Formats: sequence, structure tokens, C-alpha cells
Amino acid sequence: MTTLLQFKKVSKQYGSSTVALSDVNFSVNEGELVSIIGPSGAGKSTLLRCINRLIDATSGEIIFDGMDVLSIGRRNLKKLRTKIGMIFQNYNLVERLSVFENVLHGRLGYKTALVGALGFYHEEEKARALEILKSLGLEEQIYKRCDQLSGGQKQRVGIARALVQEPRVLLADEPIASLDPSSSKVIMDHLKNICETFGITVLVNLHQLDVALNYSDRIIGISSGRVVFDGMPSALTHDAIRQIYGSDPDGLNLNVERPKEVAQKR
Amino acid sequence: MAISPAAQPKMVNDGKPPLVNGRLKLRVLTKSMLAIRVTLIALAVLTVIGFMTFNYQEVHLLKGIATTFVNFKTIFASPQFSHFTFPEAVHQLLITLSLGVLTTLIGALIALFLSMLAAENLSNKTVSNSVKGLMAVIRAVPTVLWVLIFAVSAGLGSVAAVIGMSFHSISYLTKAYSESFEELDQGILEALQGCGAGWWQIICQAVLPSSLTSIVSWTFIRFEINFGVSVAMGAAAGAGGIGYDMFMDSAFYYNLHEMGVITYMILAVAMLLEYLSLQMKKRIRA
Repeated sequence: MTTLLQFKKVSKQYGSSTVALSDVNFSVNEGELVSIIGPSGAGKSTLLRCINRLIDATSGEIIFDGMDVLSIGRRNLKKLRTKIGMIFQNYNLVERLSVFENVLHGRLGYKTALVGALGFYHEEEKARALEILKSLGLEEQIYKRCDQLSGGQKQRVGIARALVQEPRVLLADEPIASLDPSSSKVIMDHLKNICETFGITVLVNLHQLDVALNYSDRIIGISSGRVVFDGMPSALTHDAIRQIYGSDPDGLNLNVERPKEVAQKR
Repeated sequence: MAISPAAQPKMVNDGKPPLVNGRLKLRVLTKSMLAIRVTLIALAVLTVIGFMTFNYQEVHLLKGIATTFVNFKTIFASPQFSHFTFPEAVHQLLITLSLGVLTTLIGALIALFLSMLAAENLSNKTVSNSVKGLMAVIRAVPTVLWVLIFAVSAGLGSVAAVIGMSFHSISYLTKAYSESFEELDQGILEALQGCGAGWWQIICQAVLPSSLTSIVSWTFIRFEINFGVSVAMGAAAGAGGIGYDMFMDSAFYYNLHEMGVITYMILAVAMLLEYLSLQMKKRIRA
């Protein structure tokens, strides 16, 4: 397995005092599904946004696919971002446009400013978008406006928009935080499926520890901007959980036994 | 972050909220509340002083009001053409309307570009603040004054009216548009940036579609304002149109009957515009 993404001593400061990330080191292999867990405000979102430079890290080195992310120029940044898909807790779709248009936004990074602004897409691009929408079970909805969709459907549109980019890695920023349990399962199953069938690396921020334990190949635990755990789900002990969340796992009302069974089944 | 001492209620009653006459106080007097009270009291005092020191000259207040109502009755109860015919009036009305359309159109086109520079989420802070500042200065001067200022170089007439009214429309619409752009969800911009989309692509594919309704409704509000102003400009700046006829009727011919006709026609147009804008908004929302 080759290393796709590497964080070396990455730090991020807001202003002069607020530290979001400090000395973060980890690496992600190609085709892995990695969950990033930690309490609110621990720096999970900042960490993901450092990868596609929606946020610029203050210091350190981020290597993605052999490129030094922090030092590339504008043109290469656009190229880098096309390789990185991202989905969000609030879906971040353009509500007044149709599902089809929103999905095709994923192709904008490949176009010149004028062609993209006018919204001209190749037939192959449209066909590919349609194929992806079908695989996500959205073929009935393609001409619907996004404000008419349910939360779970919106998130699937978000995934489709990320997939038409033909990304190497998919960043998911709390993708299921505003969804009900059954939609959450659909979304997580799709992410798992994307990871396994297309070999796309998936980095997902999660609040739900049980989901992280059930779905991920590896878990990275973050607490106040530092990586405090990095390992297999089966290695996540009560002590590690206490270190990440700062409270006793028994008090958190978690079922940590079940995922261990899942891990054993593999 | 430390809470500023002004925002914190003073704890005098052993850490409990303060008591007034044995009752619990609902709120504490903050600086802003004090400012509002002082302003209201000052306005009340000024109003009383104003009424006491009015110079009524020879006009008797009640008699004056009564005469005004008699004039209103002449205007609204017995409208009648005398100097021009109905088709001529419609023609003049169209001139006034086109002055409104033209100035709104020029204003909207230029404001659209300026507002992208003025919106903080689409531009940088320096550019945004300087555009906003400039627009605020332009907006602070009334439209009529801008027309008169441009009349110095263009001469009193329709040219000065078009330039002056467009000028004020630009600053008004820039503020309105840029504020509706700023209301846009930051996450959408982030998502498209994350896809690798550039500035123009984000504008055309996300910003404009999302804020189309408010752009249209602001433009229409400005059009209604501009229609009213262009009636006034007909008289004040000699820009022609129905306003000029109204001015002639009221100031030269003293023909209140014809003024009534004109007033009704302007009213009809204003109501028609209102209806149109409602219909248009419905169509766009659907």
C-alpha cells in the first residue's frame, strides 16, 4: 500500500493565541477509510480543510500524492483541489439549482473560467454524472431543485458532486451529523462502498464513536489540536477514549463491545 | 474571552440580581438603552419647542387645513383634461416611465459589478470597505441634488436627470445587492472552492442563482423609487414627461382639474408596477 497523504508537524493558529492544530503527524494509505474523532472544537474540521487549503496551515508540511500542498501555486492549487472531493454536514448545495447542475459543479475545476461560468459541460461529463446519480439511487430526482430534497438525499447529491471530480481522496466533514439514523447508515454505507469499489481514500470526521468503530479501517483521535490516538478500531481502549473525550467511556453510554465483534469477523 | 464590565449586571444584592423597591429588576440600564432614552426625550422636547416657535405669518392654521381639503376635493373629485388630450398624457407618462427604466437599468448593471467587489465574502476587506465607503458618500447626497450637480456640466434637462438618477441608483443598488450576497451561506462558497472552481465560476454558478430573487426585488423597488423621482425630475430639472405637465398645471395654469387627471394616471401606473413586481417575484420563486 502506498502512502497518499502525509501530515508532518502541521500546526494551525488563529490570531495570536487560538491554537487549532499543534504538531499533527499522521499518514494515510491509498484506499483506506480513516475516521477522525474528537470532541467539538478539537480541530477536526480545520484538519480536513488544511488538506485542500480551504484553510492554510501555519507551519509544517502536508504531502498529498507527492505534492507539497502548502507551497503550490494558484494554478496547481486548482489542479490539487480537483483531486480532492469534499462533503459537508450542511451539504452546501446551491439550493435553487437542480440536482444535475449541482452535481456537475464538481467538474468546474477542470474548466476554463468562462466555460465553467456559463455552465457548459461535455456530453461525457453529463453521462458520467448521470451514472453516479443512478448508483446513489437519485435517478428520479435529477431535475428536482435541491431545496425539495430530504437531508439524506441532499447528502447523496453532495457525494455525487464530489465523485464527478474523479477524486483520489474524499473528505467528509461530519457527513451524518444532521441526519437521522437510517439516512446516516445509507450515507456511511455509500462512503464505505466508494472506498472499497473505487479505491478512493476516505477521510471522515465523526461525532458518533460507534459509527467510527463500525466503518473505519483506522481511527485518528484528536483532542485540543493534538493527535492522541492513531490505530485500528479494535485498539481503541477505554483509556484511549478517555484521553480523546476527557470523560469516562461508561458515562458516554457507548456500546464498544459490538465493533470489536465486527473487527473480529473480518 | 472576558465579558466587558458594561455588559455584566452589577451584583449588589449578595450576588443575586439587584432589587428595586423590594422587587427584582428585569433588566439593567445599559449604555445603548440610555442613548435611546436620551434621543427620544430630546426629540420630544424639540417637537414642543418647534410648535411653540412656528412663524404662522398671516395663515390661520385651521383655515389653512380647511382650504387644503377644498383643493384636494377639486383635484380628486373633478378631474378634467384641458391643455392636452388623453393620448398625449399617455405619451408623456411613457417618457417618464422610460426615464425610470433607463436609470434603473444603468444603475443595476453597474451596481451588479460593484456589489461583487463590495461584498465581503467575495472580495477582500480593503476593496470591500473602499467601495462601500464611496457608495455611502454617494448615497448620502439626495438624488435631486445629484441631478442638479450634473446639470452644471450637462445643462438642466433629461441628460442631467439620467446621469444623476443613475448615479444614485448605482450606490443604492450596490448596497442592496452586496448585502444579499453577504447573506449567502459561506459553506456553498467553500464547497465550490473545494471543487477547484474559480471566482467567476462561483459568481455565476452559485452566487447569482442563489440571490436572484432578492436582486430582482431590490431592482424593482429601486424602479418604483426612480419612477417617483422621474416625475419630480420633470418639474425640478426640466426632464420632460408627465411631471413637467403637472408642474405647469400647478404653478402656471392653476388648473387643479387637470392635476387631478395626472395624479390619477400616476397612481394607476404605480399600482400597476406594484402588481407586476408581485407577479414577477411569484414566478421566480416557483
